[in-house]
Amino acid sequence: MTPSIQTTPTIQIKSAAEPPAVIAPDAGSVFATRARRFEQLADGHVLADWLKFLATLTRAQHAALQSLPALPLPDAAALARAREHRMPPLPAQSWPRDAAWHAVLRQLVETVTPAAPESARGDLARLAALPPADLEAPAERVLHTELYGADAALLPYVGAALQVLWTGAAAQLGASRGIAALDVPGVCPCCGFLPVASVVRNAGAGENTVANLRYLHCALCNTEWNLVRVKCAACDATEGIAYRELAGDAVKRPGAVRAETCDSCKSYLKVVYQEKGGVDPVADDLATLALDILVDEAGYARAGPNLLLVPGG
Amino acid sequence: MQVTRRQFFKVCGAGLSGSSIALMGFSPAPALAEVRSFKLARATETRNMCPYCSVSCGVLIYTTGDKSKNAKADIIHIEGDPDNPVNRGTLCPKGAGLLDMVKSPNRLKWPEVREPGSSEWKRISWDDAISRIATHMKKDRDANLVEKNAEGVTVNRWNTTGFLASSAAGNEAGYLTVKILRGLGAVALDTQARI
Repeated sequence: MTPSIQTTPTIQIKSAAEPPAVIAPDAGSVFATRARRFEQLADGHVLADWLKFLATLTRAQHAALQSLPALPLPDAAALARAREHRMPPLPAQSWPRDAAWHAVLRQLVETVTPAAPESARGDLARLAALPPADLEAPAERVLHTELYGADAALLPYVGAALQVLWTGAAAQLGASRGIAALDVPGVCPCCGFLPVASVVRNAGAGENTVANLRYLHCALCNTEWNLVRVKCAACDATEGIAYRELAGDAVKRPGAVRAETCDSCKSYLKVVYQEKGGVDPVADDLATLALDILVDEAGYARAGPNLLLVPGG
Repeated sequence: MQVTRRQFFKVCGAGLSGSSIALMGFSPAPALAEVRSFKLARATETRNMCPYCSVSCGVLIYTTGDKSKNAKADIIHIEGDPDNPVNRGTLCPKGAGLLDMVKSPNRLKWPEVREPGSSEWKRISWDDAISRIATHMKKDRDANLVEKNAEGVTVNRWNTTGFLASSAAGNEAGYLTVKILRGLGAVALDTQARI
């Protein structure tokens, strides 16, 4: 009789598995979490009123997203083609956006008007009265990141409404077909838009998550995608990268936000660190404009927009 | 379609008064006033490899200091590199204590030699150290190289000196190590990465 051979089962090392390359937004929580963070950051902040107003706007985004109807996504052939050629499936500048965003915009304007300062209500009333055909031109400006010019005050609301539409579509796509990584690191794999900031994430609840990985966060659709740390999101350089941070007694949350500056292309993008608790790439970005101002004085330009801010100048 | 270079965004003090903050009815003035209460601190993150064992875990080294202002760079923290597929950010207790090795007062910082018969370690220069090792190797090779085996076939074996290569060496350093050592006839060639 042949003795049976006892084999030792292979030990699966957890870290050998690949962490997710792309994380689709969670439609149920992304804006609600952001609204809470805006409120938290407003406490004792020099721009408290503005941040509280943005909390109201973001909460309205959450409500609008919850009532957003299912959107028509590109068909299977178009999605397969995008994947084959490593192109974003819902490109910001060419995906035929559903008219549902007009209703979203009206809903946002209606909700935030009572919270808006007296001087801004005229703009809001004008925006609410615009016929749908006249909404597409400002939308094009936002989607081409031309955040300047006439009627700049309306663009943050338009941007907020487009965020709701694209976040809904990205969440739908993430849940049904998944979102594949592109072969270029600097733009969103879902919509091709620019990142608002990086997030260094804690380990998540799912399997194969790795703590302290950096994900870029899309300024439009809230999709996150992995990029190795210590690398410029705008030009791929790995040399000449430094991290700038506000210092001094007035700093409230040390270490939560840094600016990753690149000496090759002289650009920067902020990084928010989840281990510091409750950070949000959009809210924490706008609560640290002093960092932008000082980094600008040091000679670096921002590599990605925040659609809730028209920077001026 | 407008074709442009990659667009950058300028968020600056001068622009803030014309920004959407002001246009939406809020005053950016307090934010501008506050800027002068802050300084800008600079830090870097540098990839490296844990030197202890053959696993070769990736590490990120955090350094503070502004190189341009003669400030002394100081390593403040070392942690596992989450992007490194070998360890995905984890480190063993020994690796987690790397900062203590960097800062150790007992750390060896230059080549030293203890001559035969002496009990004292003596500091020497890198040039002296490399010349010394080369001289020893040549002497041993000249004395012990086996040029032909019993059948008279040329073999050029150098059996009396061995070489242990670093586990942190990359492909290129590994290639050069083999080329040089095999070229000299060394037979005993191994790497820390294997043990």
